[in-house]
Amino acid sequence: MPQSNFKTVYISLLMALICLLVPWSGFALKARPDFLLLVIIFWLIRAPNLCNVGTAWLAGLIADLVTGGIFGQYALAYTVTAFFAVVYQRRLVLFNHTQQLLYVFILLLISQFTLLILKIMAGAEVWGWSYFLPSLTGILLWRLAVLLGLNTGGRARGT
Amino acid sequence: MALGFNQKLEQQQEPAFFVRGPSPFARLVFFSALSLALIATDSRLQYLSNIRQHLVAVLHPLQVIANAPSQLYHDVTDYFSTQSRLVNENKQLRQQALEHSVALQQLNTLALENNHLRDLLKTNQALAETSVLGEVMYVGRDLFRKKIIVNRGTQHQIIAGQAVIDATGVIGQITRVFPYSSEVTLITDKSLAIPVQIERNGLRAIAFGRGRDNTLDIPYLPANVDIKAGDKLVTSGIDGVYPAGLAVATVTKITATPDSAYARITCTPTGGIENHRHVLIVSMPIRDEDPSLEAEIDPTTPAASTKKEGNKTNKKTAAKPTIKPTKPNAAE
Repeated sequence: MPQSNFKTVYISLLMALICLLVPWSGFALKARPDFLLLVIIFWLIRAPNLCNVGTAWLAGLIADLVTGGIFGQYALAYTVTAFFAVVYQRRLVLFNHTQQLLYVFILLLISQFTLLILKIMAGAEVWGWSYFLPSLTGILLWRLAVLLGLNTGGRARGT
Repeated sequence: MALGFNQKLEQQQEPAFFVRGPSPFARLVFFSALSLALIATDSRLQYLSNIRQHLVAVLHPLQVIANAPSQLYHDVTDYFSTQSRLVNENKQLRQQALEHSVALQQLNTLALENNHLRDLLKTNQALAETSVLGEVMYVGRDLFRKKIIVNRGTQHQIIAGQAVIDATGVIGQITRVFPYSSEVTLITDKSLAIPVQIERNGLRAIAFGRGRDNTLDIPYLPANVDIKAGDKLVTSGIDGVYPAGLAVATVTKITATPDSAYARITCTPTGGIENHRHVLIVSMPIRDEDPSLEAEIDPTTPAASTKKEGNKTNKKTAAKPTIKPTKPNAAE
């Protein structure tokens, strides 16, 4: 059982990576959710023994490679996000779906903020509010996955 | 649902040291330090460019898989393109080919004449440049940068520093080369500078990308200089990167600010910066002491070097010793 679970984690991460590699452009690129981070957060909540801060760091490194930026930017953003996800993981399983959604939203924002700070330090220009669009589409995707029957550990209201 | 929840609780109630190993905080500190070290190494030193090249090559099969749907879509639309459209396009292309062949005949005569004159003047022959056709694989994923990835790499003798153009003008410059792909920084990227010349009067300047809104800036021209909206900017060719005389941009707006000695000049690029699928990668004839032959050029470096060089030539001082006097002579 743990063996197959382990496989599931890495296959899902690979799928997320392929989603990231799809040639997005224009508005779709701006609004594209961070698939890799969403999958990481999902496994951090569901199976913290299989996926931890180190996994997030490794995934971040691959994200760095894929985006072509300086090595370590996504890695740091994912590490920080994963830390907050793991620290409150026990509390998270008691949340209902709406609370969980809010929590995931905050996690995605943390990742984007970390990335924004790093990019601005590296000399990038400041964006408008549309920079945070991926966080919004991210939780929409999360909600969609829950509606489609993915067990994210959250409880429906009243159970 | 409830069952799954109970299972989860059981898993969690195992002793913490059994499941987790080092505490999350320890991991956070360790991996953050590692990330920061990586950032410092990658932004200041060049050690990681080689590793990146290999890793990207490893990722290439995944990229091909991810590209497959859109590739299929293109192939299918190509296949089902209507007869009439093809006929129309064919007619257009024939006409264009005819026009071009007429121009080409004149060009041949002119080139011969030019060579002859150069012979008479005992100057060096202008060197011919070579080019490779590439297809855009995807738009760069970093929203802060203006980049595209094309499907030609070291396997196709692409080297960092080559210019990338399309049918209408300059698009950008190759900044990173991987085995089967390479990264093109567009001229609208903030870090890229391109030495230009106003077609009308030969005034030289340097255009910088502005980043977000797909325009270029000419920041260091005095307010009283002879430039007006509608002027065409072409490459001056004195940087040794871009062949001379390629269209770059058109001046769209000039605002003189009273508090600055410089005018604010905004230009829009001539080339199809955002809407091309095929591009031409042009290399200047290789000189012995060409500095742009490294595997990876930090995008800031060409900007800095071209800037320095351009300033020099603006002041009409001697060109850099690495560049033969051919080009500046040709430009003037």
